[in-house]
Amino acid sequence: MTVLEGQPQPIQRMTMGDSWRRAWRTGDWWRHLGLLGFLFFMFLPFIITIIISFKDIPQFDHFPFTVTFPLHPENYSDAWRIVSRYIYNSIIASGASVAGMVVLAAIAAWAFARYPFPGREIFFFGVLALLMVPGELTLIPAFLLVKDLGLLNTRWVLIAPYIASGQVFAIFILRQFFEALPGEMFEAARIDGATELQVFRHIGIPLSQSILGVVAIMHVLSTWNDVIWPLVTLRSDELMTLTIGLYAFRTAWYTIWGPLMAGYVIASIPLIILFAFTSRLFVEGLSSGAIKM
Amino acid sequence: MTTEEIRAPASHATMADLRVPRERESTLGQRIYRYRFVYLMLVPTFALLLTFNYYPAFMGLYRAFFQWDIGLQPEFLGLGNFEKLFIRDDVFIKSLRHVSLLTSWRVISAVTFPFIVAELIFNLRSHVHKYTYRVLTILPAVVPGIVNLLLWQFIYDGTHGLLNAFLESVGLGDWQQPWLGSPKTALYAVTFMGFPWVGGVTVLIYLAGLQGISDEVIDSSLVDGCSGLRRLFAIDIPLILGQFKLIIVLAVIGGLQGWVAVFVMTAGGPGTASMVPGLWMYNNAFLWNKMGYASAIGMFLFVLIMGLTILNVKFVKTGEY
Repeated sequence: MTVLEGQPQPIQRMTMGDSWRRAWRTGDWWRHLGLLGFLFFMFLPFIITIIISFKDIPQFDHFPFTVTFPLHPENYSDAWRIVSRYIYNSIIASGASVAGMVVLAAIAAWAFARYPFPGREIFFFGVLALLMVPGELTLIPAFLLVKDLGLLNTRWVLIAPYIASGQVFAIFILRQFFEALPGEMFEAARIDGATELQVFRHIGIPLSQSILGVVAIMHVLSTWNDVIWPLVTLRSDELMTLTIGLYAFRTAWYTIWGPLMAGYVIASIPLIILFAFTSRLFVEGLSSGAIKM
Repeated sequence: MTTEEIRAPASHATMADLRVPRERESTLGQRIYRYRFVYLMLVPTFALLLTFNYYPAFMGLYRAFFQWDIGLQPEFLGLGNFEKLFIRDDVFIKSLRHVSLLTSWRVISAVTFPFIVAELIFNLRSHVHKYTYRVLTILPAVVPGIVNLLLWQFIYDGTHGLLNAFLESVGLGDWQQPWLGSPKTALYAVTFMGFPWVGGVTVLIYLAGLQGISDEVIDSSLVDGCSGLRRLFAIDIPLILGQFKLIIVLAVIGGLQGWVAVFVMTAGGPGTASMVPGLWMYNNAFLWNKMGYASAIGMFLFVLIMGLTILNVKFVKTGEY
C-alpha cells in the first residue's frame, strides 16, 4: 500500500509479530505460557489420533505415538466407506430437526413476545417448566410412545422428538430477544399497512438472524452428539447416526487402530466445518451475557 | 426462575398494548377471539410438546408406581418400587456413591481449571491474542462427544493405551493397568478423564462474566493498589458469582445425568464397579424390560436434580450484577 505524502496516514494495524513482541515486553509471557500449556494437553489426544490414523498395524505395534513413514492415507478411504453413511444420517436428523425447530420456535416465541393474549404467562410457563425435566424421566415412556406410534427404526423417530424438545430452550432465548426489539419499528410498519405476518417475516426475522443462528447451532450440537435416543430407537445399520455408528464401528474394528482413528477424524470434520463458518456465532452465543443466573 | 423475572424485560409497548383502554371493555371471550391467530401460532409447538414431552413426563411419574414389564399388564405397587430401590437394591446404593464422586469432581474441576484459563485470557493485553485463544479453547468442544469418549477409552487401554505408554517412559512401568478393566481403577478412570478438564464452553461463560465487569471497577481497584491475586478474590470472583452459580448447576445436572460416558467407556463394569443410577435405569429398562422399576429410578433422578437445582439457586446468593 502506498501512502501519499501530506495525507493523513491510516492507523497502523498491529501485525501478529508486533503484538507478540509487545506481549513479551508487557509481561504477558507467563500467561501465554500457561495457556499454551493447557492448550497442549487439550489438543494432545487429537494430535495423537491424527498421527495414528496414518499407520498400518505393524507401524502401530512398533512406534504407536510417533509419525511413521510411509503414511497410509488408505485408512481414510477404508473408514470413509463405513462412516460416510452415518454422517449422512446425522446430517438428515440434525438438519431436518433444526429447520423445523427454528421455524416453530420462532413463531411461538414471537407470539409470546409481542401479543398480550389471555393466558400468555400460563402457556409460557408450560414451555419453561420442561427445562426442568431431565431426559431420564421421559426416556422410557417416550420410547414406548414411539414404539406404539410405529416410528421405531425410521428417520422420524429422531426428527420429531428433536424438534419438540429443542423448541423449549429456543423459545426461552428467542422470546427475550424479540421482546427487546424496538416496538416503534413494528408500529411504523403496521401504520404503513403491513400485515402481522409481513411484520414478522420482513422485520422481525431479519433483525434476529444472529440469535436464530445461535439457537440453531446449539441445537445442531446437541442433536449431533446425542447417544441414548438413537441407541434405543434405531436398529438397522442403514439408519444409524454418527454417535452410535462410531460405537458399533469401534466394537467391530477394535485393535485395527489406523482406520478406526481415521474414522474418528472424519467424524469430527462436519462440525469443524460448521464451526469454521460460524465461529462468530458460536463465540457470541456462548459468551453473550444472556447466559447466567 | 419465576414468571415475574421472565416478564420483566417486556418494556416496549406493542401496538396491542396501546389499545389497552378498549381492551378493558372487552370480555375475556372477545379478547381470546381477537387473538385467535396467536393461538393458532402456538398450536404446532404445543402439539409436539404435549406428545413428546408432557405425555412421557407424566407417564414416567405415573408408571414409577407400577410393576410394568413389557408385554404384561401393569400392576399397581404403590411405593413398592422405591422400597425395593433403597432397601434391597445394593447395586443402586453403590451407584449413588459412584455418582456422588463423579459429580463432586465435575463441580470441583468446573469451577477451577476453566476459570483459571478464563482469567489468563481475560488479562491478556492484545485483543488479537484474546480472540485467538478463545477460538482455540472452544475448538475441542466441536469434536463430537462420542469421539472424545472413545479416545479416552483408547488412552486408558491396557495394552496399547497412551497412559500406560507414558508411565512406561517415565519409569513407572509397575503402575501400568488396564485402567477401565480393573474394578479398583475403573470408576476413578471414568471420573478423572478429560484432563486438563478445561471445557471451552465453560471458559467462554466465565469470560463473558469477566468482560461484563465495568472498566471503572477494575481501574479504580488498580489505582487503590489492588492487583494480582488480591483482585481475583476481591473483585473478579464476587462479581461473577452469577456465572459460577450457572456453572455449578450445569455441573451438578451434567454429573447426575452424565451416565452416557460411563455407558460408552465401561458399561458400568467390570461387574458393577462403575455403575451409576442413570445406567442402572437403562439396564433395567432396555436389558431386562423392567419398565416400572426403571421409571422409579428416573423419577428419583428427576426429584434429585430438581431439588439440588433449587437449593443451589436459593442458597448461593447473587446480587444484581
